[in-house]
Amino acid sequence: MAEGSLSDLRIVDLTQGIAGPYCTKLFADLGAEVIKVEPPDGDWSRTLGPFPSDEPHPEKSGLFLHLNTGKKSLTLDLESDTGQALVKKLLAEADVLVESDGQTRMAELGLAHDDLRGGLPNLISVSVTPFGCSGPYKDYRGNSLTAMAMSTIMYNTGHPDREPLTTGGTPADYIAGIHAWIGALAAVAYRAEHGKGQHVDVSLAESAACTDEYNAGMYAFQGAIRRRFYSRHVFGYPMDIMACKDGYIVFIPGAGGFPQRGLTQEGTVSPMSLLMENPELDQNPLFQSGQERMIRWREVDELIQPFLDTKEAKEIVDFAQALRMPFAPVPTVKDLVEDEHLAARSFFETIDHPEASKLTYAGAPFRMSETPPMINRAPTLGEHNEEFGASADA
Amino acid sequence: MPKPLEGIRVMDLTQVFAGPACTRILSDLGAEVIRMESPNRLDITRNLLHTDNDGQEVPWERALYFTIRNAGKKEIVVDLAQERGREMLREIIAQSDVVAESFTPRVMRAFELDYEHLKQVKPDIIMISLSGYGQDGPYSDWSAYGMGLEPASGVSQVTGYQGGPPIRSGLSFTDPYSGFIGAGAVLAALHHRRRTGQGQYIDLSEQEAAVPLVGAALMDYAMNQRLPERIGDRSPWAAPQGCYRCSGDDSWIVISIESDDDWAAFCSATGHSDWAADVRFSTFEGRREHHDELDKLITGWTKDQDHYKAFHLLQKAGVIAAPVLNGKQALLDPHFKERGQYDVVDQPHNGKRLVGRHLAAKFDEFEAAVAGPAPTLGQHNTEILGGLLGISDEELAQLTEQRVITTEPALPVPAAIVSQALKLPYEAFLENGTLQALDPDYQKQLGLEP
Repeated sequence: MAEGSLSDLRIVDLTQGIAGPYCTKLFADLGAEVIKVEPPDGDWSRTLGPFPSDEPHPEKSGLFLHLNTGKKSLTLDLESDTGQALVKKLLAEADVLVESDGQTRMAELGLAHDDLRGGLPNLISVSVTPFGCSGPYKDYRGNSLTAMAMSTIMYNTGHPDREPLTTGGTPADYIAGIHAWIGALAAVAYRAEHGKGQHVDVSLAESAACTDEYNAGMYAFQGAIRRRFYSRHVFGYPMDIMACKDGYIVFIPGAGGFPQRGLTQEGTVSPMSLLMENPELDQNPLFQSGQERMIRWREVDELIQPFLDTKEAKEIVDFAQALRMPFAPVPTVKDLVEDEHLAARSFFETIDHPEASKLTYAGAPFRMSETPPMINRAPTLGEHNEEFGASADA
Repeated sequence: MPKPLEGIRVMDLTQVFAGPACTRILSDLGAEVIRMESPNRLDITRNLLHTDNDGQEVPWERALYFTIRNAGKKEIVVDLAQERGREMLREIIAQSDVVAESFTPRVMRAFELDYEHLKQVKPDIIMISLSGYGQDGPYSDWSAYGMGLEPASGVSQVTGYQGGPPIRSGLSFTDPYSGFIGAGAVLAALHHRRRTGQGQYIDLSEQEAAVPLVGAALMDYAMNQRLPERIGDRSPWAAPQGCYRCSGDDSWIVISIESDDDWAAFCSATGHSDWAADVRFSTFEGRREHHDELDKLITGWTKDQDHYKAFHLLQKAGVIAAPVLNGKQALLDPHFKERGQYDVVDQPHNGKRLVGRHLAAKFDEFEAAVAGPAPTLGQHNTEILGGLLGISDEELAQLTEQRVITTEPALPVPAAIVSQALKLPYEAFLENGTLQALDPDYQKQLGLEP
């Protein structure tokens, strides 16, 4: 069996919920040994659904199973002296500690980086918290929604006459998990060069803000405050989700879809006119001017929508792609699981679990030729207690 | 302070957003990132969003989107359609650690610059391809833009107002998302190379990278054959949760009540003992059932509050809340400011500008801050091709003449006319609400002018 890219690393994982566990999942899926320290009654995500038939069960939370693949579970009471002593013993053999309660709480447990750095100068501690470990909001509470709110993304998502809309799921948790993973790996690289551990402080709020494409940029370079307008980009129309006969597609003519003055050859027909089976559209001012399309977008919709209403999503996307326009599908999770492309790439994984049995899991977010990521099942609560000399009441 | 990737050289063939976000993080961590553009096909973001909505005589140097993504990198402009161009690229790669590219898969194969060819040039090279749909499979040669890939990954089907259609985030959300994941993948591959001396190839499909975001919905489908409903700003785990109107123009706050204690704290902070006493609201299930009514009651309180003041008031009472920030408010937010979320670069043709961080991690030993301004077109042709490859001044002059390399774009019309054509219709945008405001004194408001 091929080794994982991170299989020499040992992570002590004190996190619960989503952001921290996604960080340590990325480590586990790349081969690191992740020791997940859970309170005696388990990570609180074990109480969150989905559950089979909506019946709560600590070993059957879909969210927990998804986020904790490939980890080992150890139950410990971190309030107790024995619990703290065992964590310190584990840390002596570990490369990275990841926590999601913040350094203030860690200090109460004697597990803040400042408590540990003296005895363990090579240890890397990573905190992933709503607002970070410094600054005026450091002790404030938060979640994915508060991070999306402050990111500028939410302000620009949704309808102009309605409230700002967050992106579905809890995306800021995942983004922060990724940033914590990157931060830890950067600290591991630093340690390889300089022989020294350090603390890495990652916040959900800033992680989400790092995804801002140009909202802050438009103010910093133009003094322009962008506002949500059907979630539309400011530099062209249409490039959006639109309804068709049997569902939705993303309608994106792209740089070469409409006629381009001075660039499109005489006598050729634009991909957009070919798609809509009407070469005369190339003479329409709305086809000829990007500016006109942005301003008179309702007329663009009136031109396009009747055509879309007669066509099925797959038919439109396939034809547009054959014309080299970057149209895209809008799949549900069912469509994803049944998708022929993802199947051909063997993206999804079917994984067995002693309590939750066989389920289809999201695959790894990238492939590596020499050290392929491996997704193994999540642990049952305290499954590895014996291996680490702990008992549930330690 | 030394950064962790000092001594690592990255040859960066990526464009637009996902790839440049990946290499921007590598640059911020200390790597030397050398971008490459083609004389006949510049990065399309050099045509987007110009400083003060006016590219003037140098639109390709006043593109704010390009500047933010590429700050701190070096750049050469080389024509890969010419064999000498590909040869120079291979020579740089022979002295590089990482190659990043974001073309559709057929392009690199056509240039014989795919991994199989490049590892002959540099056996331990780490190569990452960031594409829309991955390197194989029936959609691998589909053309892909970021605004299509968030929907293609399943995220848009769970985004939207209750009862409404699926909706995209107000930006190309999965582009930076996969750029971040890609940066982590490169760090993992570098870690493996440090131990074993072995390089490798990373195939990142932007569609696949974002699928874990809908992991819980996938599990619900696997367990119960059930599809999620769109729930606006609500949550299955908190009630009430939502986005509420505050005083002031288009001003909003999000509030999330995760427990009965949170609810009690919220009622007390807002002075509503009547809500606390209402048994309909005393449990999570009850608050969920009466969510519509609670939204009305909460709006009755928030509509007279300043969003920042209400945020502090609620947080001091232990309630989860945050103001909804626009681009200007994010730049001026005291917390972001104190923690250094925006760095100042002195950008040629643009002056001093704030650019956002791409990696949110704060390190004890170094700062993941931007390494400098974005490169001007072909700014490092001489440094890289002359210095690193040792090409003589005579040959560089000859290559410039043959347009194998350049520092000037090939424009069909004068630059000022291009700039005119690329202006966005801001008057119309102010009128229809795409822009909320245009502040002429913004540099002063940001503290960048006396």
